Amino acid sequence: MAIKSNNIFFQYEETPILENVSFVIAPGEFVGVFGPNGGGKTTLLKLLLGFLKPQRGSIEILGTSPKNAREKIGYVPQISHLDRQFPITVLEVVMMGCLDKSPWHSYTKDAKEKARAALQEVGMLDFQDYSFGTLSGGQTQRVLIARALVSKPSILLLDEPTASVDASAEESIYKLLERLKGTMTIIMVTHDLQVMLQKVDRFVCVHRDVVSYSQAEVCDHFAQGLYHPPLKRN
Amino acid sequence: MSFLAGIAASITSGIVGSYVVTKRIVFISGSIAHSVLGGMGVFLWLKRTYAITWMNPLHGALVAAILSALLIGWIHLKHKQREDTVIAAIWSTGMAIGVIFISLTPGYNVELMNFLFGNILWTSTTDLILLFSLAGFILLATMIFHAKFQAVCFDENQAQLKGISVTKYYLFLLVLVAISVVILIQVVGAILIIAMLAIPAAIAGSFSPRLSKMMGWAVVFGCVFTTLGLMLSYFLNWPPGATIALTAAAFYLLNLTRNYKSIP
Repeated sequence: MAIKSNNIFFQYEETPILENVSFVIAPGEFVGVFGPNGGGKTTLLKLLLGFLKPQRGSIEILGTSPKNAREKIGYVPQISHLDRQFPITVLEVVMMGCLDKSPWHSYTKDAKEKARAALQEVGMLDFQDYSFGTLSGGQTQRVLIARALVSKPSILLLDEPTASVDASAEESIYKLLERLKGTMTIIMVTHDLQVMLQKVDRFVCVHRDVVSYSQAEVCDHFAQGLYHPPLKRN
Repeated sequence: MSFLAGIAASITSGIVGSYVVTKRIVFISGSIAHSVLGGMGVFLWLKRTYAITWMNPLHGALVAAILSALLIGWIHLKHKQREDTVIAAIWSTGMAIGVIFISLTPGYNVELMNFLFGNILWTSTTDLILLFSLAGFILLATMIFHAKFQAVCFDENQAQLKGISVTKYYLFLLVLVAISVVILIQVVGAILIIAMLAIPAAIAGSFSPRLSKMMGWAVVFGCVFTTLGLMLSYFLNWPPGATIALTAAAFYLLNLTRNYKSIP
């Protein structure tokens, strides 16, 4: 299994966010994650990344703990979490994907080549010397995807990569993800259920617990924030 | 001698100030800078009351700066929701301790006034050796750890994902801020340190798309401001620390006007 969550419970101070969450994600699966705001999507991502520890239960990523599996995970954060005024070039951002723990580390020629190859993969090589803050929303997302891909991860986690980007940028991100589909496990938080319907293998809804839905079980009500268990269809 | 002290201070403020400005921890640095008054007051009181001759207010400043840096850093990392209140509390507590010990200290405290408002004209050869040693340490630490500092300043989550100890590097960065504070006390004084730490780097930020280049420009601007400030203070007979800070502020305003005009 790529990811196995066993009965996890997590709360911030006295407020439970996730309760009795169990699910399994197979290697190479493309899973869309949706749910109401405050339902626990971001908390679940942080648990998978090992930034938070569940108070009860356990998570296994590629057969080990999330903290030990970090090197095999690529993460694409929401662009609103980054400082667009920070003086940094596109190439430098992508090279951050090659950082290692050793205290004397600085970027090698090899890291630069890997970063350029990742930028080429997302169609952003011509922008390598641009200031990160001058990019459009869609370009920024593609650069962050390149940063996540540069270390050749087995699992790619994306937190709403199409939020605040225009339609053509959204399309280019989807095309990129379709190319990556099957080569790694992809878990993507999204509110765009209708668009994602034909692209993902299945969905999971995070709303204190986690419920899995096949494509056929995704209901029009969800887009309006009305979540319910899968309906049995004739 | 004073010009050389200005260069040492500019190297420090240009490098560390760039991290401070980009990480948006100017307020934290202000708190560290003002809390040193407590350390200086206590050390001066011990020196005068118990005749401990080797004690120097600058040593007290270094101890207080590092302690408050570590305390603020720990609170930033572990208790983010109360950070601003704690920063203000450390800021005022440090100053209050300083004021109390200064009042308890016998004699006229001209020495302390120099540390409060700076007196670059009093720089001795020993001071100069200390200033350049500390500036050299900061330069070396930056050359070795720049990739890690940059990652922690830009995206803590990515740094953590790559196995880098955000806590360790963030605290180390704040210790470098604390050391810079002690260096800059000599030049502009504890009260005006923030001007030298933030302004050259803030102006440099509008000239460069890269953090490393921003640091280079910030060092250049720091040298210009201290040299020009010193010359102005000589001709106008103004206090050098305040004149340097005002010179930096004037250039900052000019740069703001330039940026404002460039907005279509």
